[in-house]
Amino acid sequence: MTLQTDLVGLLGPERVLSSDLDRFLYGKDAGVYRGEVTVVALPETTDEVQEIVRIAARHDVPVIPRGAGTGLAGGAVPLGGGVIVATTRMNQIFEIDAANRCAWVGPGVINLDLSRAAAPYGLHFAPDPSSQSACTIGGNVANNSGGPHCLAEGSTVNHVLGLEVVLADGEVLVTGGKAPDPVGLDLRGIIVGSEGTLGIVTKALVRLTPNPPDVRTLLITFDSVEDAAATVSGIIAAGLVPAALEMMDQRMTEAVENWLHAGLPTDAAAILLAEVTGDTPAVEAEADVIRQVARGHRAREIRVARDEAERTLLWKGRKSAFGAVAQAAPDYYLHDTVVPRTKLVETMREVYEIGERYGLTMMNVFHAGDGNLHPLMMFDASEPGALDRVHAAADELVELCVRNGGVLSGEHGIGKEKRDLMHLMFTPVDLDAQARLKEVFDPDGRFNPEKILPAGSRCFDFGRPVPEGAWI
Amino acid sequence: MSIADAFASFPRAPGELAAVVPPTELVLAPGDVEETAAILETASDLRARVLVWGGGTHQGIGHRVEPDVVISTAALDRIVAWEPDDLTLVVEGGVTVAAVEAMLAERGQTAALPEWGGPATVGGVVAAAISGYRRHRYGPTRDRLLEATIVTGDGRVVRGGGRVVKNVTGYDIPRLVAGSFGSLGVIVSVCFKLWPLAERRATVTVDDAERALQTLFRPVAVLETRDGVSVYLAGTEAEVQSEAERVDGVATEGFAWPDPPQGETVWSLRVPPALVSEGIGRLPADWVFVAEHGVGHLRCAGRFDAAAVAELRGWAEEAGGALVLEHAEDQSVYERLDPWGTPPSGMALQRRLMAAFDPAHILAPGRLPGGR
Repeated sequence: MTLQTDLVGLLGPERVLSSDLDRFLYGKDAGVYRGEVTVVALPETTDEVQEIVRIAARHDVPVIPRGAGTGLAGGAVPLGGGVIVATTRMNQIFEIDAANRCAWVGPGVINLDLSRAAAPYGLHFAPDPSSQSACTIGGNVANNSGGPHCLAEGSTVNHVLGLEVVLADGEVLVTGGKAPDPVGLDLRGIIVGSEGTLGIVTKALVRLTPNPPDVRTLLITFDSVEDAAATVSGIIAAGLVPAALEMMDQRMTEAVENWLHAGLPTDAAAILLAEVTGDTPAVEAEADVIRQVARGHRAREIRVARDEAERTLLWKGRKSAFGAVAQAAPDYYLHDTVVPRTKLVETMREVYEIGERYGLTMMNVFHAGDGNLHPLMMFDASEPGALDRVHAAADELVELCVRNGGVLSGEHGIGKEKRDLMHLMFTPVDLDAQARLKEVFDPDGRFNPEKILPAGSRCFDFGRPVPEGAWI
Repeated sequence: MSIADAFASFPRAPGELAAVVPPTELVLAPGDVEETAAILETASDLRARVLVWGGGTHQGIGHRVEPDVVISTAALDRIVAWEPDDLTLVVEGGVTVAAVEAMLAERGQTAALPEWGGPATVGGVVAAAISGYRRHRYGPTRDRLLEATIVTGDGRVVRGGGRVVKNVTGYDIPRLVAGSFGSLGVIVSVCFKLWPLAERRATVTVDDAERALQTLFRPVAVLETRDGVSVYLAGTEAEVQSEAERVDGVATEGFAWPDPPQGETVWSLRVPPALVSEGIGRLPADWVFVAEHGVGHLRCAGRFDAAAVAELRGWAEEAGGALVLEHAEDQSVYERLDPWGTPPSGMALQRRLMAAFDPAHILAPGRLPGGR
């Protein structure tokens, strides 16, 4: 029996894809890397996922979990062939438990669909990546995804209460639940953000957050990027954690305004989108604090969204920014790094310098309140050497952020993209500990191989033999 | 060579500290990471059982451990980095909750550590994954843990996470350390995400906890004790005033936190949040409690009644929760029942994880669920 016939035997011919076109389509995520796909499986149940994992083990091929493929770090790109397990058909919302403010969902449920389903109960799923109308909860769990509103609400890991996971041996692990603080080691936190390298999430119990009673959305215009960045630092330093605090530079504002026509000030060097939520007295008081700080940093204009329609328009501009840049160049490379918020001003200055040095147009739209940068480098992939230049500039960006006390990724993950930069943040001993952790879950390295950790991470053997059964 | 001789060159904890550490006379107090690593390396070589000790506040939790050596974190007591403008704090594991919160309060900030924490250390709070009363607003302690540096059982210094508020760079080892009860390593330092303290704080007495939770957007806490229900509000002057009016209660200035319940036995009852009121009704009538509405946690205390405990635990586990023993005056209680209750699924995986951090299995052996 071949791998293909085993899978068809399990799922039928409709849910096993292996044409040249399908294998081409699934060979890539939304980033720049491409890999070689052996076959694509589209399971609908946990049982089927278990069986797929066992079949893959029997044929000794890798398993690469995939959601909607909106990832940017190559996390869902197969690096050595293998079975792509696309969870998009596992899109059932099993339960919305309004009394306990949570929901059991399949990994293929689309982020925005969950919030829509929860809306009648006055609840929503707080992580809101810009790709939320396409990305799946399973993908959010794998990448610990964020979004503008994670500033006050935290990333996906803060919203996962329980997980059902198919492990490398095909067994099912259920960890966590509706009650707080499960006993034993907390495996949820390790699985969230593990980018499909430890197992396949087949169900998630996620927290639902009450919709705020009132909201104020402010659009603040600046004549310099530095004033905008200083305003962000100033707001945090003033003891305010807004619901969202987003920044867009001039080039990005132009691109967005060009197609959205929301009246964004295209002559401003930078704009800030700030949102505060809560009871009416609270949002009014907090909006005042933001106004004061912004004026102290020479804000040119402060506009408050008059109604929900205007607010929606502003957010549409922010969240569709990455689509809007298509008019500026044929290709873009979107980066994701984090710096301490106090380092925003100097980091932004250096980001532009790196762009100039490599001859790349740098556009910026990002989660300023978190210190989470998203520089976009515009390029034309058909131009020889262009992508190499982008990669070199990207590596320098990461080095800059780590030097300023930051980390490699805030919400996109490491995947293939930053795997070989992990040493910038971690010692060989740190990486070895992470490799041991991977080994515990996946001794044969079957799940999403060659992701997150650079080759040779498992390098330390302290040579202390452990007697059989010593720790059992 | 005896175990005591093998550790003779390492600093002993001062006498007054040793007095609060009962399980062994051999109490070491390393002053830095290197010393901690050297002690653990030696302990692994000797297969000497190690219990890590902070303030001793949470030592009642879990299966009993009979250590050969206690490692006190008392000398790991430095503030490493506080960035008030970035709302982050890095401290060593032996710093007390009281010291941290007193320092932060001077600049109007908080780590939202347990309000009753006092002598508890941040390392102990993280190791036991204990959250304070303000969890309803600020989330559990593990959600505010950004970075952790531990020394593993075999003396490796391992750092995970980062000092920024948003991060997905490698496996989240800090989250695994939260709630590991010293079974993965000694927590040398941690980085917390901080929150600003609100301008105005108030405690409001109300009649109906559920109604308060439904009415208010995000109260800091809704706590119930035998004395009644209190809602804790924080925000601007106008906000707190309007919220207090909407729940129709009597407001007093500041947060008046209840004392943690005390008794012959102390328990942590964990249930889905909507079952808190039912949980209160199921407690033995003479037990005291602090119930966290909207969170699903009740800390309760009273005389030990095996049948009543079994019934309460059965109900909690049936609902997907747990009843965990946190303290017993009579040590035989730990023999008469499992302090954790039914172990979770995936115990083999949990044991393999512990072995990855502690190959010689010297750290608090057997303390976690399934340990006996």
